[in-house]
Amino acid sequence: MTQRPLDAPAAGESVDDILQVSGLQVEYHSAGETFPAVRGVSFSIPRGKIVAIVGESGSGKSTISQSLIRRLSTGGSITSGSIVFDGINLTQLSEKKLRRIRGARIGFVPQDPSNSLNPLMKIGEQIAESLRLHEKSSASAAAVRAVEILREVGIPDASARAGQYPHQLSGGMRQRVLIGMAWACNPDLVIADEPTSALDVTVQRQVLDRMERLASERGTAVLLVTHDLAVAADRADEILVMQQGLIVEQGHAKEVLENPTHSYTQRLVAAAPGLNSARLQAQLLPFGSSGPLGSSLFAGRPISVETSFEGIEKIPVPGLAPVLEVRKLVKTFALRTPGAPASVLTAVNNVSFAVQRGQTLSIVGESGSGKTTTARIAARIASADSGTVLFDGEDVTTLQGEKLRQLRRRIQVVYQNPFGSLDPRMTLERIITEPLRAFKLGDRKRQAEAAKELLECVQLSPDLINRRPGQLSGGQRQRVAIARALALGPEMMVLDEPVSALDVSVQEQILQLLVNLQAQFNLSYLFISHDLGVIRQVSDEIVVMRFGDVIEAGPAAQILKSPTQAYTRELLESIPGQLQGQS
Amino acid sequence: MRLLKKPGLLVSAIFLLLVLLAVAVPSLFATHSPLEGVAAEKMLPPSAEHWFGTDHLGRDVYSRVVYGARLSVAAAALAVLIGVSVGAVVGLVAGAVGGKIDFAIMRVVDVFIAVPGILLALIVVASLGFGPWSVAVGVALGAAGSFARVMRSQVLRVRNEEYVEAAGALGVRRGTILLSHVLPNASRPVISMAALELGTAILSVSALSFLGFGPQPPTPEWGSLVASGREFVATAPWLSILPGVVIVAVVLAVNRVAQQLGASK
Amino acid sequence: MDSAGASSAQRARTALIFVAPKLLQFVFVIWATYTVTFLLIHFLPGDPVLAALSLKGGDATTTDPAALERLRVQYGLDGTLWEQYFRHLTGVVTGNFGTSISTGQPVSTMISRVMPHSAAIAGLALVIGILLAVVVTYLAFLTRSNWLRQTLMQIPPLGVAIPAFLTGLVFISVFSFGLGWFPSSGTRQPLSVVLPAVTLALPVGAIFFQVFSAAVFEAANGAYVFTAVAKGLSPRRIFTRHVLRNSLLASITILGLQIGYLAGGTAVVETVFSRDGIGRMTVNAVLGRDINVIQGVVIVVAIVYSSVNLLVDISYGLIDPRIRPSLATPKTKGSPTAPDAPENSAPVRTTT
Repeated sequence: MTQRPLDAPAAGESVDDILQVSGLQVEYHSAGETFPAVRGVSFSIPRGKIVAIVGESGSGKSTISQSLIRRLSTGGSITSGSIVFDGINLTQLSEKKLRRIRGARIGFVPQDPSNSLNPLMKIGEQIAESLRLHEKSSASAAAVRAVEILREVGIPDASARAGQYPHQLSGGMRQRVLIGMAWACNPDLVIADEPTSALDVTVQRQVLDRMERLASERGTAVLLVTHDLAVAADRADEILVMQQGLIVEQGHAKEVLENPTHSYTQRLVAAAPGLNSARLQAQLLPFGSSGPLGSSLFAGRPISVETSFEGIEKIPVPGLAPVLEVRKLVKTFALRTPGAPASVLTAVNNVSFAVQRGQTLSIVGESGSGKTTTARIAARIASADSGTVLFDGEDVTTLQGEKLRQLRRRIQVVYQNPFGSLDPRMTLERIITEPLRAFKLGDRKRQAEAAKELLECVQLSPDLINRRPGQLSGGQRQRVAIARALALGPEMMVLDEPVSALDVSVQEQILQLLVNLQAQFNLSYLFISHDLGVIRQVSDEIVVMRFGDVIEAGPAAQILKSPTQAYTRELLESIPGQLQGQS
Repeated sequence: MRLLKKPGLLVSAIFLLLVLLAVAVPSLFATHSPLEGVAAEKMLPPSAEHWFGTDHLGRDVYSRVVYGARLSVAAAALAVLIGVSVGAVVGLVAGAVGGKIDFAIMRVVDVFIAVPGILLALIVVASLGFGPWSVAVGVALGAAGSFARVMRSQVLRVRNEEYVEAAGALGVRRGTILLSHVLPNASRPVISMAALELGTAILSVSALSFLGFGPQPPTPEWGSLVASGREFVATAPWLSILPGVVIVAVVLAVNRVAQQLGASK
Repeated sequence: MDSAGASSAQRARTALIFVAPKLLQFVFVIWATYTVTFLLIHFLPGDPVLAALSLKGGDATTTDPAALERLRVQYGLDGTLWEQYFRHLTGVVTGNFGTSISTGQPVSTMISRVMPHSAAIAGLALVIGILLAVVVTYLAFLTRSNWLRQTLMQIPPLGVAIPAFLTGLVFISVFSFGLGWFPSSGTRQPLSVVLPAVTLALPVGAIFFQVFSAAVFEAANGAYVFTAVAKGLSPRRIFTRHVLRNSLLASITILGLQIGYLAGGTAVVETVFSRDGIGRMTVNAVLGRDINVIQGVVIVVAIVYSSVNLLVDISYGLIDPRIRPSLATPKTKGSPTAPDAPENSAPVRTTT
């Protein structure tokens, strides 16, 4: 690939820039191979401003953030370019002098709050450590100041919390501690690398608010690294868009969003769920003579979806009968901690809903809302303590053994994690034909043909048939998982966070695929997601859950436009991408 | 090709092949008779004629090492084979069945892990009598416990993998899932562990032979060779040290190859 | 402390709930070890009693059934298996391990006489081994030269591949016969501890190194070390303040296995250096088919092993805040973020 200077070195190098990066190139070496992660990047960060780097996985955005404090992962090295921080070239600086800048003048908020704190050290001490090192505070002064910092980042009961260990704090609180740590010594610049991607939306919003406030109070410049264009749109003054190690577009946040010039940015803007509110429409599939169930695959199926089978008497009720209905589901888990009395967590509390044939019902909720447990009960993977699951009018709550196995032909599941749900040792052919083999459908040759057709159905090349999951990208794997779920020609699919592990632009493609398949095969979806932005692209009906309870349920348009419950409104307001232009 | 980039691995593999050849056809490598010595040539230091010198009966130590490979390597291999088979079956049953049976099995396995391997081997040798094969059984028993534990934890790990649940949700039968997903994915770490165990078993077998529980003289075996040279360590250190070095070389080579097996898919 | 409000009675109860199962396990392992050993000795083919008596009797081997039976009674090997099993078990509980067939002395006296010698070299070996492992890892952690780090990391695996009897013999020929610094054998001189201890320390340290250095370098690439670097801490401080404790915590679970290794290793090392000790006593017992002694040794080793594991378990609970028994009642609503207990099924094994 040729090296194109896509961006002119920051126009008119002003002394007001706290950081100037020019011509930065970073490479990773492993096992004799060299991989260029950053391929000549120049930008600058003005004092007191927030600059966002936006990009998908593999774009090199995190590598940039790490190279700014010269701490790259194993095998990484800066091969050329300069990083000038307040007049000091960090690439030339001795390690010892660099250490006086790290933590003191450049703070860093890392990505993963659950592992970024030392598990064996009290959180107050972890902040105080910085103060003693850089500000030369006495031990007692540092401890007092650490408690103040915890209070400043919005941790309630700060003096008691300071004496706690990281595992006693929630994810959001841990991220606040890390933010406090980054700002502890009043730095000129804070680098925040995906600071909220591991957090729930409502928490994400609070944490970002806190960061923004600290930045404006202290006049700190912030480099915000994120995969979420909407988050960048809300928070940043300037946006850099990265793709494959290069900056493809940069400018004022508003301009970039409203007037993206580079095709990649245009795609990102179009794909960003937070910025895009319409339900996706089904598109005509690119391959041949496909009527509603017209692919040769479904026609050649020994048992078509219309045929009933032993065990479950099928009542062919057209029209309004829901394909799946759950009534008053309750599920509790016993919590045990050594040395403490056992307690009970109600994961699902009296949940009822119905999925109409050919439609999508989505359950939205944050972590701990019980949405996944509900879906697993509905798919008869987990069992409920009480309540009823009706499939096509039949009570399937207590089906066991062979009858349950036969039910699987009609209801299939796609999991969140495409890395975990495919056996790494199997080829795609074996993966996709596994359900066919399980139900002894067709001979080997017929099954192999079906596998190829299914790959085409999910818009993957049939040439991939002998690959293994490890050789595919995340999006490709998720397509394989969908193809496998389609193999038996089910009526219903339970989709458990099917896109949350994927990059935004890939997310959108998968969602589009799901919508197309729904129209083509008249599929009904139970769709689970934490992301209202995703939910509104696919849903006909929405159920909002929190702590096991259904907060609100109804048609998608109604829930999204005029929610009646405060929590739903809070969720909606927390979707990034709505603050731009307000401030 | 790829091997050339890893000289250590290449050398190890070639050396192991030679050792295996010596196990099969020792006469290819031996320069003298392993059992008959020349009384006039006793206690000679290493030379072009006698690479490892000669012992107190004038026997060529190098040739004795070559002939000793058969018992040492075979006993170690047998030990690993028994240890892995017994351990893997026990661990698979425990992990797959679960519940009270799992609990009971694992408590017994705990005992086999609590008693040091060499001590277990000594108990077996004390009961079965001395000799390389009872040594092998003893070493196997010492290793079986950890194989069972690893196999069980692997089975439990794989059973919790999402693809196993996914297979269930696809409608695949439980028995089929166990055979097509759980067993293949769980046994890989056990197999690479077995390869590493071969090195350990060679050390254990030779240690037990060194202590005098191996084959009876004059049958050559690596550990016994070191032991018989021991009384001359002040005057003729090569008698015990050179056979010892051979043991080290073989173990290092085995470990290097095993490490590669563990790393590749 | 979050336990401020709890009464001391409650505290004691919590501690009991935490410790009781571990104590139970402690007793169980010792009992089970005794049982398994008993079964192995009595159910494997061959009559160990006859073998031992014949080895002992030499040419005067008695074939007279009455005389044989008298000897069996003398060594507690008469009666049905059940009778023997329970007689020995009661003996074990009261500290009476029976009589040695080859020496005629009480087994407990024999063991307590040689125990200190073995404990000395095993303890010293453990200390030296762990120190070596930590120092090598520390240097590898600090060095900025990739090459030096690779080289340092290659050394300890050698320790696992070299049999202790070879190391011992090389040490004897170099340091005893060559340089004359240390005695080559015996138990009397204080310096005689050094060579056996170092010989044992090499494999023990190498095994500890494998676990410890893996923990250190995993941490070094991990998130909390990144945070520490971003704070501006020096590598030394990161090691001592952040990495060391976390990695030691991850490594102490193998201490129990190390004890097992040491118990086995003493058999070889004490033979090489002709020292009195548990190991050499065991070897002699096996050579003489002296099953009473063998069983006594196995039980003692199981007790030591279980004690160390018990201590490791309890100290784990004290050091690691994540698995410290909590006194506060957990909040019932909200995300069930149960502390992830460290998985200690790591495939770490030791053999000789």
